[in-house]
Amino acid sequence: MSATLTAAAPPHVPQPKQHGKPGGFLRHTNIFTGLVTGIVLAALTYIIGSHWFVPWGTQNSTYNQVGFQALIMATFIAWVIGFMAGIGAFAGPIRWMLGHDLTHDDAEYMAGKHQGNWRYFKYTTDHKVVGIQYLVMTMVLFAVGGFLAMMIRTQLGVTWTSVFQPNFYNSIIGTHGIVMVIAMIIVVSGPLGNFIVPIMIGARDMAFPRLNALSFWLLFAAVPPLVANLFMGGIRDGWTVYQPLGAQAPIGMIGYQICIITFAFSTGIASVNLITTIVTMRARGMTWSRVPIFAIGILASSIMGLIWFPMFQFSQIFSMSDLALGTSFFLPTRGGSVWLYENIFWLLGHPEVYVIVVPASAALLELMVVYLRKPLFSYKLAIAGFAGVVGISSLVWVHHMYMTGFAPSVGYPFMLSTELISIPFGFIVLVMLGTIWRGKMWTRLPMLAVFALLFDKVVGGITGVYLSDVPVDQYMHGSMFVVAHFHYMLMGAGLFGAMGAIVYWFPKMTGRMFDEKIGQIGFWTAFLAFQVTFMSMFVAGLQGMPRRVMQFDSAFRVSNWISTIGAYCIVIGMLIFLYALVSSWRSGKVAPGNPWGSKSLEWQTSTPVPLDNFPVLPVVTEDLYNYGIPDPYIETEERLAQDDNEGVVV
Amino acid sequence: MSETHVTPEVEEPEEPTNRPAPTRRMKEWFSRPYVRPIVIICAVITLAFIPFAWVVLYFMNGSGAPASPTMTEIEKTILVFTIVSGPLMAITLAVLLYSLLARGKGSWGRVHGEEPPMQDSPAIRTNSTAVIAWIAATSVLAAFLVVWGMIELATITKDSYGSIASVQGPNAPKPIDINVTGQQWVWTFQYPDQGNISADTLVVPINTPLYFNVTSVDVVHDFWIVELGVKIDANPGAVTNTGVTPTKLGTFNIRCAELCGLHHAYMETKIQVVTQDQFNNWVREMGGSRTA
Repeated sequence: MSATLTAAAPPHVPQPKQHGKPGGFLRHTNIFTGLVTGIVLAALTYIIGSHWFVPWGTQNSTYNQVGFQALIMATFIAWVIGFMAGIGAFAGPIRWMLGHDLTHDDAEYMAGKHQGNWRYFKYTTDHKVVGIQYLVMTMVLFAVGGFLAMMIRTQLGVTWTSVFQPNFYNSIIGTHGIVMVIAMIIVVSGPLGNFIVPIMIGARDMAFPRLNALSFWLLFAAVPPLVANLFMGGIRDGWTVYQPLGAQAPIGMIGYQICIITFAFSTGIASVNLITTIVTMRARGMTWSRVPIFAIGILASSIMGLIWFPMFQFSQIFSMSDLALGTSFFLPTRGGSVWLYENIFWLLGHPEVYVIVVPASAALLELMVVYLRKPLFSYKLAIAGFAGVVGISSLVWVHHMYMTGFAPSVGYPFMLSTELISIPFGFIVLVMLGTIWRGKMWTRLPMLAVFALLFDKVVGGITGVYLSDVPVDQYMHGSMFVVAHFHYMLMGAGLFGAMGAIVYWFPKMTGRMFDEKIGQIGFWTAFLAFQVTFMSMFVAGLQGMPRRVMQFDSAFRVSNWISTIGAYCIVIGMLIFLYALVSSWRSGKVAPGNPWGSKSLEWQTSTPVPLDNFPVLPVVTEDLYNYGIPDPYIETEERLAQDDNEGVVV
Repeated sequence: MSETHVTPEVEEPEEPTNRPAPTRRMKEWFSRPYVRPIVIICAVITLAFIPFAWVVLYFMNGSGAPASPTMTEIEKTILVFTIVSGPLMAITLAVLLYSLLARGKGSWGRVHGEEPPMQDSPAIRTNSTAVIAWIAATSVLAAFLVVWGMIELATITKDSYGSIASVQGPNAPKPIDINVTGQQWVWTFQYPDQGNISADTLVVPINTPLYFNVTSVDVVHDFWIVELGVKIDANPGAVTNTGVTPTKLGTFNIRCAELCGLHHAYMETKIQVVTQDQFNNWVREMGGSRTA
């Protein structure tokens, strides 16, 4: 997109008075003050609370337990509040209460001006800093989740003995699940949605920069309670934590619930921010028919996140109050309903899959046009696809509950809606295929990631059609087939797509070129090993192996051995890829402003991106994806038409 | 960064004023050098999915399935779905493989190297024929799968309640009620019609409809008779129902398919499908008062 630079004289606006040095209180806060305040407040809460609750609790064994769970809940809440206070999240509201408005210097300090790398450890509002923070956070979460996955595969591969205690094994299953779900939800929308989208649409920052910082640091605060659960008895119930099994759990469960509740706040805030940014802050001339498809994808996934994350949050608020406060939303012995929990949980649980897959697909749609040097095939069909997925995703949650027996006849309408969602999803596949069609491909890693994503998405889609069918689900439900299916969707399409997208925007984000030679080795090792691992897991599922078991019938041994070997190879591939990422980031070739010859706005500004992104805000004057030459075959067609007119038989 | 444009320039692609007849255009399209290889790859993969469908069933049948009409219907559905999804897989794979591997004249070509290539590809912004054909094909496919699934669901629902022709008629055996109770981490089976005998393995006569009343005393379990294709959650505080008619003698697996705590992995037992006489003997041994 060619951009126009016009400088208009800014109108005179009366500036607020500067109180003290720019930044004020925030000059003294950073991640370490946050950690200290969080830990101190949590410890104080625990000490004071245990003096208040224990004498009361000793009267009755049930009350004793209830009191203790409530105490742990209060401690974790104190950690979150203390951390956010310590890092300065409440400085803004307090400043307003004191009647001090932000000056321009304050805002620039908060955006991290002249703070070097220290700004990554502070409550920094600049969207580029938040993007990098998210990227590092995602990598940490993947490392944790991947390590847990290897523990699971080790247990399943070592069929002749038992590596872990059953309790601990069940905990690592659940923790692996939820860590990976969180990591996958943020892997595209976090780093790329924050860093790239505002530049891509020609804005100076996100619509709400301070909410942006809030969303990241809430996520940061959410992780320690989750990891702490492993040392507090664990969540032994899988990532879904079905009730009433969850109510039997030790206190580690509270850590999981606080994590989900905090994470849902973080996601909701981030979604509001992204939606507002994309809707209101586009550059002049970027009409709705010129919004890059990646921004559309982020918009779609933010809408789903905003609508459905509260369901997840409420399922956990209710079950935490069952556990800690003695309510009985989900406890059948006291009049609650297990089906209520399952319904509320899956109301998020299924849209969440699309929250993960849609941004990754949109990112690859965005980048493939650059490597193919041709416009996106049927841009409007792609938008229709995303819109359809957003719409129908809210109507399919019961396909996780076909076998619960809560209403057998409900299988018919939900089978219909679930299979309907494959139609808009197919639109995206057609757009990808149509864009590849007749394109002269520049074989870079992000482009090849499109091939990986498409293959995995079709495998995941076809196996998904099996599972959407009630009779087939009667065999497959709760088996390893389901596990393999959603790994194809989330890891195969989501993660490999996200890896391609991160490599594509890596030069813009870090100012260095990605080392593709090593990166390709890692990527394809991981991709092939992924096929081995999960194809073999499909076989285990077909043979009738239930999921979340630590030991199993000897019939499933061979497929599990193959899966475990494959899983170790995935780790080797991922480590090679990680090495390429880290070494390129530290000492890669310095990247030019536009290494791919792209026409979209984010590549038109300089690298590294200046604090306010563009010296002058750009104006979009061309249509989207203006690549390509006139189709030579159209000329053939015209010749044919001419022949017809002249009555010549060819 | 070019010169200033106040109003954006809009470049509309010109519509050909006089397009040749559709048959001519089809013929011209098929004569393009890249079309034939893609069509051939498509056809090969589609055909390969037909034997592949039996491979899928081979894995399912490793331990004696199908042992009931329900399981037969499930396997039929899997067979049909695998074959039907073949073309979709084939189109995707054909385009991917051709784009990745094809070389030489007429292929789409590839560029390697560090510098961005400035040779552009044909600017195909859309193609209404392809879009309409794709939407129509996927919609028809989805409609077929939904209708097939609904008919199958109705069939297995009926099968679950003993409407199999082979077991109907004047001498048809009386259905047997079985109360299934899940608890951490064992299954208990109670036969109310046979004098409330209870057992921890399920013993049932062949060709007799079974009704299961499934419940749980603690957490959610999932009652799964693998080779018979029966699955229903055991929920605390509620009774769920399902049924099946075993049609094959032998011993099959019962597993719990919903994580239920510490020893979920070991919450397994067996179902023995025996003849009516053997069943009557077993009931007598167990101290049952009345046989079916």
